[in-house]
Order: sequence, then structure tokens, then C-alpha cells
Amino acid sequence: MSEQMNGVLPRGVTQKKFNAAVEKFRALLGEGNVLLKAEQLIPYNKIMMSVENAAHAPSAVLTATTVEQVQGIVKICNQYRIPIWTISTGRNFGYGTAAPVQRGQVILDLKKMNRIIKIDPDMCTALVEPGVTFQQLYDYIEENKLPLMLSFSAPSAIAGPLGNTMDRGVGYTPYGEHFMMQCGMEVVLANGDIYRTGMGGVKGSNTWQIFKWGYGPTLDGLFTQANYGITTKMGFWLMPRPPAYKPFEVIFENEADIVEIVDILRPLRIAQIIPNAVVIANILWEAGSAHLRRRDYIAEPGHTPDLILEKMQKDSGMGAWNLYAALYGTQEQVDVNWKIVTDAFRKHGKGRIVTQEEAGDKQPFKYRAELMSGVPNLQEFGLYNWRGGGGSMWFAPVSEARGSECKKQALLAKRILHKYGLDYVAEFIVGPRDMHHVIDVLYDRTSEEETRRADACFSELLDEFEKEGYAVYRVNTRFQERVARSYGPVKRDVEHAIKRALDPNNILAPGRSGIDLDTYETRRSAKSTSSDES
Amino acid sequence: MTVDRRFVLKSMVLGGAAGVVLSRSMPLLAGVTPSHSGIRPALALVGGGAAEAAFLQGARAAAGTRLRVQQPDRGLGFMLDFEHRLRAGRPMRVIGLLDDAAATLVLDLARSAGARIHWLGQHTGEAGSTRHRLLNTDLAEGCARQLSRHLHACGAGFTLDEERQGSAAPARQLAGPARNGAGSAQWAAGVGYLLATLGTRPTMMPRVSVQGTLPSGSFVSFSIEV
Repeated sequence: MSEQMNGVLPRGVTQKKFNAAVEKFRALLGEGNVLLKAEQLIPYNKIMMSVENAAHAPSAVLTATTVEQVQGIVKICNQYRIPIWTISTGRNFGYGTAAPVQRGQVILDLKKMNRIIKIDPDMCTALVEPGVTFQQLYDYIEENKLPLMLSFSAPSAIAGPLGNTMDRGVGYTPYGEHFMMQCGMEVVLANGDIYRTGMGGVKGSNTWQIFKWGYGPTLDGLFTQANYGITTKMGFWLMPRPPAYKPFEVIFENEADIVEIVDILRPLRIAQIIPNAVVIANILWEAGSAHLRRRDYIAEPGHTPDLILEKMQKDSGMGAWNLYAALYGTQEQVDVNWKIVTDAFRKHGKGRIVTQEEAGDKQPFKYRAELMSGVPNLQEFGLYNWRGGGGSMWFAPVSEARGSECKKQALLAKRILHKYGLDYVAEFIVGPRDMHHVIDVLYDRTSEEETRRADACFSELLDEFEKEGYAVYRVNTRFQERVARSYGPVKRDVEHAIKRALDPNNILAPGRSGIDLDTYETRRSAKSTSSDES
Repeated sequence: MTVDRRFVLKSMVLGGAAGVVLSRSMPLLAGVTPSHSGIRPALALVGGGAAEAAFLQGARAAAGTRLRVQQPDRGLGFMLDFEHRLRAGRPMRVIGLLDDAAATLVLDLARSAGARIHWLGQHTGEAGSTRHRLLNTDLAEGCARQLSRHLHACGAGFTLDEERQGSAAPARQLAGPARNGAGSAQWAAGVGYLLATLGTRPTMMPRVSVQGTLPSGSFVSFSIEV
């Protein structure tokens, strides 16, 4: 076999060592599961972030089909100090796509581990492998006529529950806080051990997907947004399909209405009158989701002026803010809660309530109603056509579910985005007490100047929000190190102490959430030397 | 009806429609005899706009009537059909020019299906000029230069950045000033031609008869093989 010569290698790994590792990977996985050719790697290198693709180019991709193979892979990685970046379905789009956090990392793609191991319709639980998609689960539930409902993020059909939960993503049903609904993980640790969380370590246990906490420390959270292990199975709870379901929208005409919307909504959410993860989408999120395009309204570069937004509202009937929620339960429960909800909004006197009967098949209502009832669709990808150019980075600060706070965040974000000539395309996803304020920073990657602008804009968003005491709950791989700094040095010290204990060779996704023994230790020792000298 | 049958029928209808457009421009393409050796019959996925029609003209100039055409819709049904097709185990080469939303989905499904991608282009046309950002493999060697010569000959201003996957070299940057105010969708015809001939001996790119002014907007071009 000819010697492989790579333009991209993992950090600190020589070509000779890399080739030796590749031979071992081939022996373990078979030739077809070790991808090295440029045309095999390009599909993993389509990024939407504000840097060149090269900054996130993988050196190779491995595909595994069994847990034993994953164990074998980490063994080889330890031997040759090969860093691996694991993906399940890799549909992380505005949070970094499938590309690794650092150039040269080897991607471990678990798409072929796609068995639905068990769905228990009585206990309403599921146990799946990393490659299982929501569409697969949806088809299974439909084919077997199970009275169950899924919760998923907007890429729905093509994304999967394991990856989304491990990244602490959310959905739009009452089970929308996915990590809260997770129950039992199987994790391959860096030393090759298999660790099962919760009740999973008890021989013969049938409560692994039933009871989360097990005994002693509960470590499940340690493996989310982290690089301490490779999750090869995950259990989660499924919502029983309710006999009655009533989605609705409330349309608000003015941007300033956000204060009252949130303050009316909060008690309804905390009391579980409205049980699902409610969405409040602004006009541009609505427009994008309805597949409208900016160039149909304005040709000038820069942000879309408010006058145009008002015209869009007038033409389309969309609001400045558009709230989507749903009621679930028996018809009697839904009827009672509907009265409470409509009374609350009518008392306010501003919102225009739209029911499913009134909306019919109109978008974006239709896809929102589907998402809130666990029916997959791909409608929200229309956002990528709003401005076009392939740039998308999700900026997602957490806010209190308090009107004044949401207004403050919205104004701050809009001001910064407009300063850089970009649009405020946003939605709030409402938990009982918190809001995920998700802003899609859309820009044109064919323009070097606009790409630089988007990069500077994203940095300023992070900086200015941090000054106000805000931080994001999740971020794309370009900015993960930066965001880790927002959460303070002690947290980072603890995270790196855990990393040293569990993965001393730093082979699992170094750089994930800013956890990287090589760079962190170097920075710390440089800092400590400089303070000793002063 | 099976997924495959639906797929074929849709393709036939669209292929026929595109053929009408092409026949009007054939005189300009007379004498073009690109090499087809080594190229499997290709399917083209294109949107319904002027740039996509020009892309198709360029692609057909190289691949002729063997090129089947399909226009993806935005629904889940099309994407699941397409994924099924990619996973069917039959060798297939798909080229295309789509909007960002459709291309994001098509390319991601291609990744999951284990497809090989030799060319991924991001293109923007606005205000009489075009911008192109390419990520490609050695198979596309010479294509960026050829495209830039074509754009220059057409008189439209352009910038073109080319990154070679796996290369340690920095991105190649090419640019040309606008020599006349009348940009057109020639760029898309050029890309269509290049993708249809990818991997063959480079030939002179033909100019096709493209009507109208430069369509503004954003597009993604690709060559996918399974």
C-alpha cells in the first residue's frame, strides 16, 4: 500500500504516526470505514462559520458499527495520540455542522450505529443508538401505531435524539427540554471502559430508562457539551400522545409588546397551563421560515430597515412578534386551559389569536403546529434563503422569562447586529423560567468583507452580552473557547481536572466547550510564570 | 407508486422542459465536443430561476440529453426520496445548482449516505458582479482558472476564492473587473459546463445564449457521487 501523505494532520501528530494509526484503524474497521480522500472529507467540511473551511478540516473520518469498535478506536487513539471528534448525525448546522472544532481532528461518525434498541409503549421510554434519526423514530411509531409523541428541534427529520440531547438542544412539545427527559446513557470512556449512568450499572436492572438518578453521584450531565466520553446509547422518555391537541398563534404588531407577551406567558408556563416550549419568533424569523427572501424587499446591502419590516408585516399578516404554543390533554382539560389562556391574552387587549382552523395550511403556522405535535418537517431551512450566502451562526444567550429582560436583550442584539449591517433574526424559546434567545446571524460567506464583519459582530455580541451578565447556553465551534471564558476560571479548572482524570492523553474532542489539556495547561503555566515574574 | 418510480417520472417531466430551453441555444454550442470518458450519466438538481436554467444549459452543452433533470421541492418528501436514492447502492453522479436551503439539505443527506463530493461552490450575484467560493478536490484542478477566464471573457466583474480540500496551501484568490455593465447568468452556464465535465480532459468552455441580466441571489453548486 502506498504511503498516505496528508495536507491536514492532527495537531502534534507526524505523518508517520498518522499512517501507523490509519493502518490500525483499517485493520479494526475495514478499509471502507476509514475515509481519507479529499472527496470523502469535503462533505464533513461544509461549515457555516465565519472562517475558512480549512480551519475546521478533518484529517480523516472513521465510521464504527459496534461499541467494541468504538473501544478499539479509543485504544488506537491513545496509542498514537490521535484526537477524535465524534458526531452522531452531525446536524448541528448553526452550532458548527459536522466539522471538528480543531483542524486535523479525526471525525468518528456514528451514523451506522442506528438501531432503535427498544421502545416501551407502556412505560413511554426509548433506548437508541447515536445514528438514529427522528424520522426513523417517527416512522417506527407510526408503523407500529404506538400512542407516543416525539419532541425534536427544527431540523427534526434528519437530526437525532442522542446528538441533540448531548448538545442540550430543545424541542417544542411539553417534553421539549431534552436533557431533562434523558434517562440512562452508555458511554465509552477514553480508557475503553463502558460506563452506564443511572441504574445502568446494576446487573439485570430493568429500570435503566425508568429512574434517572441511580445511587451516589449522578454524572449524566458531565457527558453533555463535553469531551469526557463517547455516548453509544441513550435512553429517554416519550410523551403519550394526548387525545386532544390545540395549537395556536398570538400575533403582536409592535416590537415593544415583547415585555407584556413574556409577562403574560410566564405564569401560564410556570403553572403548566401552557405545557410546551413556547416560541416567540420575530418578523424576520417568520419571514425566513415562510421562505421569503430579503432581495424581494430591498436591494441595498446592510440591515433591513424597520420601514421594510413594517411593510412586510402589512403585506404578510405576520406580527413583529409571533407566539406559538399548544394545549394538550383530554378535550375537557384543553377546553378549560383554552379559556384561561384566551382570557389572559384578551385582558391584555393587543394580541390577535389565531387557531389551527383559522390558519389552515398557511406557513409558518403549519410547520409550527407540526413541530409542537411531533410531526417532522424541514420548513425552517428557509431561513438560509433569507439573506443567502451560506453563513449562519446561532447566538443563543439565556434570559430570564421576564419581559423587561427580553426587551433589553432584543434591543442590545439588534443594535449590535445593525451596527455590522446584519439582521436581527430571532426567536425566544420559552421554558417556565428561562428563555433561549436564539438569534441566527445570517451572512454571505462569498464576501470576505461580510464574513469578517459577521465574525466581529459575533464577538461583539458575546462581549457586550457578557458585560450585562448574560451568556450563551451553546455556541458554534469557532467560539467555544471564547464562551468557556465567560463562565469563569474555577469552572474551567474543574473541567480540566476532570479531563486529566478521565482522558489524560487528551484524545476525545480536545477544544470541545473550551476543554483542551494542551492549550489550557499551556496558557495557565504561561500566566503563572508571568505573575511569578511580576 | 414506489419511491424510485416517482423519482424517475418527476425527472422525465423536468428533463423535457429543460430540453426546450436548451434547443433554442444550440446554434451557439455547435462544434462543442467535450470528452465524456469516465463520466457516468449525471442527474442535475436545479431550482427554477434564470441562473439555474443557465447552469442547465452549460451542463447540457457537455452532457447532452443524457442529463436527467429534477427540480427539488422544499418538502420532506423530496428529501426522503433523494436520500433513498443515494442509499440504493447504485453508482450515481449528481450535479446541481440550488438555493442555500435546498443545498444545505441535499449536501447533508449526501454526507450521511457516504457520498463523495469533488466540488462545492457558493455563488452570489449582485449589482453587476459575482462572487464565488469553491471547495474542491484535485479532480477540479484547472477549473477555477477556466471559470475565471470565462467570467473575464463575459465581461462581468467577479471574485473567486478556491480552497483545495486537504491542502496546506492558502486559498487561491482570483478576481476580474467589470468590463461592461451587462452581467448575465453566464457564470452559471460556466459552472454547469465545468461540473458536467469534471474529471475529463478540460476543453474550451462554450458561451451559451443566456437571456436577460445578471440574476441576483445566492446559489450553491455541487458534484456528488455515490
